[in-house]
Amino acid sequence: MEFNAVYFWESLQSGLTYLPRTMELTGIPILCGFVFGILFAVVRVYKVSFFSPLIAVFVVIYQGLPTVVALLIFNLMFMANFNAVSSSLSLGITAAQIDNIWIGIVVLSLQAICNIEEAFRGAFYSVDNGQHAAALSVGLTEVQTLRRIILPQMLPVALPMVTNNIVGIIKNSSIVVAIGITEVLAGASIPASKTYSFLESYIAAALIYWVLTACVEYTFRRIELRGRKYRRQLA
Amino acid sequence: MIEIKDVQKSFNGQSVLKKVSLQVEDGDVVAVLGPSGSGKTTFLRCINFLEHADAGELSIGPKTVDLNRASKREILAVRRKTAFVFQNYNLFNNKTVLENIMEGLVTARKVPVKAAREKAEESLVWVGLKEKRDAYPAQLSGGQQQRVGIARAVVLEPEVILFDEPTSAMDPELVGETLEVIRKVAHRGITMIIVTHEMSFAREIANKVVFMDGGVVVEEGTPEEIFGHPKEERTKKFLSRFINAESMYYI
Repeated sequence: MEFNAVYFWESLQSGLTYLPRTMELTGIPILCGFVFGILFAVVRVYKVSFFSPLIAVFVVIYQGLPTVVALLIFNLMFMANFNAVSSSLSLGITAAQIDNIWIGIVVLSLQAICNIEEAFRGAFYSVDNGQHAAALSVGLTEVQTLRRIILPQMLPVALPMVTNNIVGIIKNSSIVVAIGITEVLAGASIPASKTYSFLESYIAAALIYWVLTACVEYTFRRIELRGRKYRRQLA
Repeated sequence: MIEIKDVQKSFNGQSVLKKVSLQVEDGDVVAVLGPSGSGKTTFLRCINFLEHADAGELSIGPKTVDLNRASKREILAVRRKTAFVFQNYNLFNNKTVLENIMEGLVTARKVPVKAAREKAEESLVWVGLKEKRDAYPAQLSGGQQQRVGIARAVVLEPEVILFDEPTSAMDPELVGETLEVIRKVAHRGITMIIVTHEMSFAREIANKVVFMDGGVVVEEGTPEEIFGHPKEERTKKFLSRFINAESMYYI
């Protein structure tokens, strides 16, 4: 099998033009993951009645669902029901008018929320109970304790796991080709439909993902080091 | 005056405190003694709601609160009149020594930062750790951490400081410096309740000693009464090792 540098370059360029799509497909889920992940983790750690078991059930169900299966189910349900729902609410739009990237974003967001919630929850339990007791004993309220003592201590613990989750979400986003969403992988493959240079296309896509995840890892590693200045240095 | 009445607490159906009461006059130093599992620590933690009692009443000054049914505001008010020194220090790991001491002043009591810093620095000098003001707890020895813990409590000028076995987690060499600071707190006239296993220290510093076992107060009195002439058999037995050890000095 020969490797054609020209085709590779073409694929790389084509893939890069779809980079914003991938960013959209991963950025929104990561943002949702952070916001709702922390919120849900707090709800579960503090055992808020009604919501805590609800989230627990949701996480168990959704964690067990492969991304492709979730995508196919959501896609099918969307296609089959959107028009009916839209007309009953007289929204005046049809399924065909909606970019199916949103199905991918919803599916990946739910996944990100589950993963990041679990990472934060684990990190919460790593903070000693005594920290909580000490904060209350000097007269802090529960909210002040959470904001000033618990969160600053759990975030550095959560960060390596969250970084891992984010990298996972980025890589996982390529799976949306299953429902025909065009992003970096599909974009890089466009030239190959004429030239049959699929190897070049896939390697170009791989390179883009690799650079993207390397940037994420580097950034979070820096934040990580800054966040744990108070910890005892190991050697 | 602080009055604690009929505190009851059980964990998973097992009764840990069975109607424990205690009266503390202003300026009193009360030592609570007893074997492990006698409920001393739980009792102490119920006083400032770190543990939620099943029943009981607490009066600090004229105000009385129900230990079981207190509202969030009442709980916060009690916590802001008390301070707690923990067995394993529990300094805020993410804050420097100075920030640890300032936290309760600034965040809870809304003291302006500048005034709080001055007070915190003063208290650090007082516990002999001025040079450690910018260190993080992980960089301090156990004894130093506990002295910061004591400064963090004293700086709040509470009505009472609750000490939960303040020297139990330390190696013997560090116990001395910590007891020295606690002695200074007592000499300042601050009301304290100390749960401790340091018998000779309790005898020296306390003006009231309470002996607990099995979730009840077995005996209470002056140090002289409890250590010199314990009435109850259980007290005698518990103190026997200590009293024997002390009489060894005279042999």
